Parts: sequence; structure tokens; C-alpha cells
Amino acid sequence: MHTHINLSRCKFIAITATILILSSMHARASDAVNVFACEPEWAALASEIGGERVKTFSATHAAQDPHHIRARPSLLSKVRRADLVFCSGAGLEVGWLPILLERAPRGVQPGTAGYLMAADHVAVIEKPVVVDRSLGDLHPEGNPHVHLKPENILILARKLKERLLILDPPGSDYYENKLKNFTISWSSATEKWQKIIKPWKNKSVVVHHKFWSYFLGWSGLREVGTLESKPGISPSVKHLEALTQKVRKTNVVAILRTTYDHDGPAEWLSSRTNIPVVVLPATVDRNAKPGALVAYFDQLLSLLETKVGRL
Amino acid sequence: MNLKVLSGVAASVLLTSSFALAANSSDLEKVLKEVRAMKQTYEQRIQSLEKQINLLSQAKPQEAKRSAPASSNSKVKGNAFNPSVSAVLNGTATSFSRAASEISGFGVGEEGERGSEGLSLGETELNFSSNIDDKFYGSMTAAIVREDGEDKVELEEAYLETLPGSGLPDGFQIKAGRAFWTLGYLNEHHAHADDFADRPLTHRIFLNKSFNDDGAEASYILPTDFYSEIGGGVFRGDDFPFGGTVSGLGGYSAFARVGNDIGDNQSWRIGAYTTQGDVKARASNEDGISFNGESDLYVFDLRYTWAPTGNASEKEVIVQAEYFHREEDGFYNTVSFDDDSAGWYAQAVYKFAPAWRIGARYSDTSAPGVPTSLAGTALDSAGHDPSAIAVMVDWTNSEFGRVRLQYNHEELTNDRKDNQAILQYVMSIGAHGAHPY
Repeated sequence: MHTHINLSRCKFIAITATILILSSMHARASDAVNVFACEPEWAALASEIGGERVKTFSATHAAQDPHHIRARPSLLSKVRRADLVFCSGAGLEVGWLPILLERAPRGVQPGTAGYLMAADHVAVIEKPVVVDRSLGDLHPEGNPHVHLKPENILILARKLKERLLILDPPGSDYYENKLKNFTISWSSATEKWQKIIKPWKNKSVVVHHKFWSYFLGWSGLREVGTLESKPGISPSVKHLEALTQKVRKTNVVAILRTTYDHDGPAEWLSSRTNIPVVVLPATVDRNAKPGALVAYFDQLLSLLETKVGRL
Repeated sequence: MNLKVLSGVAASVLLTSSFALAANSSDLEKVLKEVRAMKQTYEQRIQSLEKQINLLSQAKPQEAKRSAPASSNSKVKGNAFNPSVSAVLNGTATSFSRAASEISGFGVGEEGERGSEGLSLGETELNFSSNIDDKFYGSMTAAIVREDGEDKVELEEAYLETLPGSGLPDGFQIKAGRAFWTLGYLNEHHAHADDFADRPLTHRIFLNKSFNDDGAEASYILPTDFYSEIGGGVFRGDDFPFGGTVSGLGGYSAFARVGNDIGDNQSWRIGAYTTQGDVKARASNEDGISFNGESDLYVFDLRYTWAPTGNASEKEVIVQAEYFHREEDGFYNTVSFDDDSAGWYAQAVYKFAPAWRIGARYSDTSAPGVPTSLAGTALDSAGHDPSAIAVMVDWTNSEFGRVRLQYNHEELTNDRKDNQAILQYVMSIGAHGAHPY
């Protein structure tokens, strides 16, 4: 057998490879703990607890539905260099995270200290009894949007600190201190929020998607229906008509949707029932500064207070 | 805790009542009022305490479950380690304006032909995949197809892949067996994930639809800030563009690609690939044309995605293009041949509503010159370069079900125009892993 090699054409591959290898050596210099967060809230929490010792990256931004993004090449390169993968879990990232992890370092694989799924460490609600695809895009693991309950943030802050101690032992005092400060500010903020939500108890709302369940459970608001007939499936007119009938019989104070949900169904219901629509951000900004998580809950409550609290 | 509070209330009531005996009636009323107020506050406190106790007792078992997952999940059933299983159902209804369709100027393989007319089932894919152990992942895909009036099983893929726990350096991966190897964008993907009902001319001509020879491939993702990957493979040399291997080691490949994001909602990837090797008696579909010699293929690809809302599930634009260049040196039948041929396609797909997409694709080729002794055969393009236009609209009910209507206008032979209408469904049952970028 003789194999023919075209030198001039192979040359460009060799040159490309050399350039890539050289640039990769250059990129290896950073000492910080690289945190790959699937959602901005975990990136924000990582910078609260990790401070200057961590470098955070969020795979999604606040206007994106983290359930449906593509396993983009840029994400492969980010997870390739991660020391900690910090996500919601419970199937929220099932469409893209497994593909990324296939090429990720050993240190961030499931079961290691570098793999932190929020839903693995808090009480997960709404686990379906029956799972079938005719019922829509159900998460068999339960509702993954665990960041919307203040207690969960504290639980995760502690978990994260434990992981950072393992990944970066020289920073242990630093992380302990950061956690202490965060716990103090979070607890005093929580006390303030408790006062705001006190009069909300048992007031009824309609939500677009079961995104807000943890928040509703915490704030005492009661969900009387969802605009989606089934999770992840666009609302049908028939379902909306039925919902309108139900809403007319109940004293519903608001219709909640995230910035990235369709505005159509919420506006439709609002125009028929005169119930105000409240558009709430799903999470913090992608490049959130310290304090962003407190500011986020402040924002949620003030947006709702104008519509709900005064009624 | 309850009892303590209750006894406290009782004691205070007794005390105040004995004191009240000595007082006059107006004082008594005042005291009674105070007692009632006290009673109310205590009752409220008791209620809230009871509620807290209830909450705590509800929360406890949940936490206990979390801390001891091993004991609660210790029952391992016989089917707990079953692999992911899925089937892809694919059917078409087609109508062609011409009875025959040949691509002139190239020795095209059997899979490069257009599909059959009328109602028919496309490839029905059956996939089993699972982690084998801590070091390996395995996957098998068989396609059941109708050929010459008979249902046949074609083994599309059967490969193992190293997992990150395999002990190889981070970013390094080895894949061995039979697989849709890394060669441009489409080749790595199963046909059911395509944006059009058929493959573009480049893949029909240069790859006989797809390159899935037996072999092994190694790849390495570099630890760069942007995505960059290099790799290469060795192959048996049996599958188109190779064929009829004698040594069992007739082909090899190399590739390099880079990609990144532009802002929050745009992403791109470009790549360069080559696969080269020996060809023994590569038969083509028409006129008994057969090739012996060396066949080198160079492929360049580009993919760009833009989700204007940030959410690809709502709105998205995908632009994709591939360029193929082939150098052949050897013999077509007994006639000496040393020439280049090329082809490319470019497509754009626009998702304008969550369930609806439209797309257009243009494929063009440039056929090599024909040796005089082969004039008049399928290799003779008569100066015509085959090209094709496709437009499609598809409706996606869920991640698992899609229906597509496509119109093709193909000019594959001189002065012969073929208009095709294709109605297709692609549905998947069972576990369905996410598709790569």
C-alpha cells in the first residue's frame, strides 16, 4: 500500500495546529478557580462567595430560557477549562449540559467536587407522579427553578463554600469570611422581605409557566392556573378560554410571566379580565456585581408590590 | 412547648381572677378586658407555634431522605442498567417531474440517488446507547431500509468512545468502530436531524450520502478561550469515497476547527477537513463505471447561528455552508484519469415562530473533464455542471416530532430539469440525546 500525501495541503493543517497549541499554552496562565455556571444566579452566588479567587462565566443570560439553548462551541471551550460546574440541575440543562460534559475535565464530572447541581441539595417540589411525553415537557426530577426561594440561596452558598474549600484550600479563610458576610446580609434582607410579603398570603395569581412555584410557595401567593396547558407547550385557545372562566370565579390579583415568555397569552387573558400582567426578570444579569442577588429579590418584590401588595 | 404556654395562660388567668375578687366592678371589667387580650395573644402564639411544628415535622423526613440516598435507592432492578433506546420513524410522499434522475459527470454511488417516488418509508433508525463503564461509552445505530423490494438492516454506527474518566488527558477523546466521522458539518449528524429532506449534491456525489467507514479517530479540544479542536483518524478504506480495501488500512483523515460567540446571541464555527486514501474498484451506479487509484477529499465548513431573542427555541437563523474539493489520480475503468472536481452548498433556515421554520438551499458542482474514451457515459457531463435548489417549510410540534414540505428544482444532467415535491415526517420515540451544535 502506498499512501499519497499532498504536502502543500497538509501544511495548512500543521500550521493551524501549531497556532492553536501555542495560543492554548498562553491561555493556561490563570490561577483563579474557573466557575462555569449554567445560569446567571449561580455565577452571581459564586462571585459572592468566591470573590476575587474565582472567575465566573454564565452560559445563559437573564433573557434566555436555560432549558433551550444550544451546546455552542464557545460553551465547549469554557467548560473544557472549568474547575467547577454550578447549575440548577433537575433536568433543566438536559438538552445541552451532557454534551458539554462529554468533553469536560475529569474534575467536573458527576460525583466530583467540581460538579454542583443546586437541585441535589434542596427540597425539590412538583415531582410528577406520571411522566409521559404526551403530557408535555415534564421534568421527572421535579421543578428545577430552585433559586427563587431565599432559603435555597443560603443552602447553596454553604454548599458552594464547602466545594471551594476542596478545590482551593489556600483560600479557606477567605471563603469562610465571604460566606459569613453574605449570610448576614442575606438574613437581614430576608427579614425585610418577610415583612413585605406578609399581606400577600393566599392571594391568587396566574403564571405563564410553572417557573415561579418556589417563589409563590415562599411568598404565600397561590397559583390558580398556568397559561401553558402543558409544560413547554404553547397555550391553546381552548385552554385559555377555560382558564378565563376559572379566573372570573376567583379573585386573581396578577398574571406573572418572565421576560422571555410570550407576551401574547398573558395580554390576551389580561384584556379579557382586566387583571394586570407583571413581567418579572427570571434571574440576575449575566455579569452581576456582588449584591446582585439581594437586588434581584428586592426588584421582584417591588414589581409585585405595586400590583399585589396594595390590593 | 404547647403545654408550657397553656399552663402559663392558665396560671395568669387564675392569678388575675383571684386579684379581681378584691376589686370593684369597673376595675373587674378592665382586668377582664386585659385577660381577654392576653388570651388572644397567647392563642395566636400557640397557633403560630403549632404551625411551625407542623412545618418542621413535614420537612424532617425530606431532609432525612436526602442525607441517606443510598438506603432509599438501594433496590436495583434488573432493568436499571438498560441502555437508552430510541427509534426514529421517517416517512415520505414524493412526486417527481422526471422518470429518471442521474447526476452526470461524476461516478455517483447508490445512496447518492434521489429517493423513491410515491409513498415510502425512509430510513427507520434504531439506536442503543449507554455508558459501558467508567471509561467508555458505546452506541449502536441500525437503519432499516427498503432496497430492491426487500427490508434490509444497515449498520450505520457501532462505536465506543472514551469518557472523561478514562485516564486520557483532559480534552482528549478516542472513538473507534464505525461512525459518522468528523468531515464537514453534515457528515457527523444523522439524517433525521437534517434541515432538509435530502442531503445536498456535495454529499450525494462525494460521500455517497455519508462517510461511515470502519476505523478510529482521535480528537483534542485545546484549552483555549475560544473553541478549537484538532483531530485525525485511520480507516479501513471500504466506504465511499474509498472502496474495496485490500490491506484493511486504506484511508486516513485530519481536521481542525475553531468557533466562538459574537455577543450574547450569535455563534459560529468554521473547520477544515481532509480524508485521503486508496480506492479499489469503487463502483458507481450508472454504466458500470468503476474507479481505481487515489482519492483525496478536502472539505471546508461554516455554521453560524443567530437567535435574535436570545432563545433559539423562539426565533433563530442558521446559515450553513460546505465546500468539497476532490483530487483523483488513477483509472476510471481502464482509462487513466488525473483531475479535480468540486462542489458546494449553502443553506439558510429561519425559525420565525416556535414551531415553524422556512429554509432554502443551493447546491452547485463543477464536474471534471472526461477522457475521450469515456465520452457518452455517466462520467461525461457534456459541459454541464449539476446544480440544485431546495426550499422547505417545516412544522415542529415538539422536540420529538416534525413534518416537512420541500420543493426541489434539480438540473443534474444537461437540459433535464427535475421538479420534486417531498412531504416528510420525522418522529422519534424513546430516549433522545441532545444534538450537538
